[in-house]
Amino acid sequence: MIIQMENPTDNVFIDAVNVTRQFQMGRLTVDALCGVNLQVKKNAFQIIMGPSGSGKSTLLYLIGGLDRPTAGEIKVDGELIDSLDENRLAIYRRQKVGFIFQTFNLLPSMSALENVAFPLRFARVSRRNRLKKAMDLLEIVGLADRANHKPSELSGGQQQRVAIARALVNDPVIILADEPTGNLDTAGGLSVMQALADLHSRGATMIVVTHDTRNRQFATQTNFILDGRIVPQEIYEHSLNNLAIEAVGSSPTPSENDVEGQ
Amino acid sequence: MGIFDLISLILDNLNRRKGRVGLTAVGVIIGTAAVVILVSLAIGLQANATAQLAGIGDLTLINVIPTYGGEGDPGGPIISIDGAPGNIETKLLTPDALEELRTLPGVQDVFPREYFYGEARLKYQRLETWAGGTGVPPGALKTMGLIAQQGDVELEKGTIVIGSNFNTTFFDPNFRPGKEPPPPPDVYNQQLRLEIIKYDPDGNQIIKNYQVRVKGILQSNGRDDWAIYMLLDDVTTYNEWVNGQRINRNKTGYNEAVVKVDDPKNVKPVYDAILALGYQAFSPQPYVEGINSFFTILQVIFGGVGAIALLVAAIGIANTMAMAILERTREIGLMKALGATNRDILSVFLGEAAGIGFLGGLGGITVGWLVGEMLDVLVVAYLAGQAVQQGGPPPPESAVITPLWLAGFALFFATIIGFLSGLYPALRAATLVPINALKYE
Repeated sequence: MIIQMENPTDNVFIDAVNVTRQFQMGRLTVDALCGVNLQVKKNAFQIIMGPSGSGKSTLLYLIGGLDRPTAGEIKVDGELIDSLDENRLAIYRRQKVGFIFQTFNLLPSMSALENVAFPLRFARVSRRNRLKKAMDLLEIVGLADRANHKPSELSGGQQQRVAIARALVNDPVIILADEPTGNLDTAGGLSVMQALADLHSRGATMIVVTHDTRNRQFATQTNFILDGRIVPQEIYEHSLNNLAIEAVGSSPTPSENDVEGQ
Repeated sequence: MGIFDLISLILDNLNRRKGRVGLTAVGVIIGTAAVVILVSLAIGLQANATAQLAGIGDLTLINVIPTYGGEGDPGGPIISIDGAPGNIETKLLTPDALEELRTLPGVQDVFPREYFYGEARLKYQRLETWAGGTGVPPGALKTMGLIAQQGDVELEKGTIVIGSNFNTTFFDPNFRPGKEPPPPPDVYNQQLRLEIIKYDPDGNQIIKNYQVRVKGILQSNGRDDWAIYMLLDDVTTYNEWVNGQRINRNKTGYNEAVVKVDDPKNVKPVYDAILALGYQAFSPQPYVEGINSFFTILQVIFGGVGAIALLVAAIGIANTMAMAILERTREIGLMKALGATNRDILSVFLGEAAGIGFLGGLGGITVGWLVGEMLDVLVVAYLAGQAVQQGGPPPPESAVITPLWLAGFALFFATIIGFLSGLYPALRAATLVPINALKYE
């Protein structure tokens, strides 16, 4: 087990200790995470890098309370979230977490404004306040003029910025982004990462899971994950190089997008 | 989630899938319409049957007649009597006996009824008619629920109240064939001459004249349309003159007593109590109850046939919701990620299912009512045709009756059906593992 920590006792906001997550695939037990330790400080821009299937998204969803670890514990803002019941976990997600997904996950029937305001329905915020808050956030991500557009009328980068505004609408203490640039072209990806960096500069704590090394420039802290374990950067890069050579050697085209950019 | 947010979200979701919601609701519409039409038809049939039975009179009235005892067959119109024929105690309806009846629990009023049993003629101008007559105490007609179409039913000495068709019985004794028969006279508030006839031992007629005024004419109710009601004391006077002796009620009792029960549900116990006292009694209520329970069964059967259609519709809703959950798995995952609790998800999906039921119910009531109205026109027209051809009773005003409660019940039932059909799919949606739901392709 390899543990990578920077200033372990200083201002730890998210503390994952010895987190293991196993999935049952029929008779087969798959270890998605094996005893991972991760500490994130308040107002960090944490990037977790790893290839597809490395377990990085699993770790993100465990921190976000969408999944539970098989073993280990996760503390966010002093709250031990793996022991919360279903209902409390939903409230934790509602109050403390903002999610950004690779595929945006906007509701196609709703306008950008309604999509941003949507989570506040579950928080019993009045319609008027919901829409006002959503409009303010669309302004922050630079899409106020697109408030009444449906997702299908927006570019990928714009859709993801709407999703970012939605992730902020509940004033979360952490923002969790799962491959936020994965479905975007270079320009779109850059605009999204800049929007996230902007939020970070305003004081947000965020964890971004990505395989795109270009995103590292925004990070205050980067961890590398391979086969369910956090590894040092040099091992990570070495291993990915080998993977790329293997892939090129065995088939004419790389089968996974994940190795692009290596 | 607040209730208004929930409802608006449900409406948005239903609106998003108009086509499928509409098609699913068609099933509910057909089922609800079937229930509404069939039950309306059953209610219409019952209402018509009850209208035919109305001639039987007020169901809270029990007619009591005395029991004349002795050995063997008691004779007389015995409706019900406990025990085998044999020594039967005589029970006369004396004033004391009436007081005894009055003390029975559930009895609101008791009054005697006495028939004029002589021969009499009523004369008005040159017309006359043969007259019977029933004597009742003051106020009794009101207790019996009789209503006047002209004048009132408050009998006084020397007055009579007659049925709506009584005036048609007047005839001209000097009428010759070929002449135009006289029209029925309007006798309301007119003085009539009452001639009471008796015969001496040699067979000679002796006639005594009285003056009576028509104080009221009753609304038609079938039973009393040819009746003459007069004051009990007047009838007693006439009977005493015919008999040539005074009548002692303590010895002979009254012909009949009428017991008014305070509530229809007390009729049976009061009826039984009267029989237990040894009198004979007749109440139309058991018959009407029997007929009513027949129609209730008919309604249930008709409703059940409609309910089968609704059951099929329910499976349609369940299927639509199950499909919706497959399609919307990612949406459910997203809602959970955004902080929706399992209960929120359950409410949304149950609400959508109940919403389909509600919409279908609304449509079904409308369709059912419209078809019912059309059916009504056809059935009434058909019955009218039958009545003209075969000379039967006049057709009913409406053969299909849709009461408001039926519409309300049908709407509620359709909504509940939707709700129940949505239960399983909604529970499945609510308990989806969020991470799996989000990754679902």
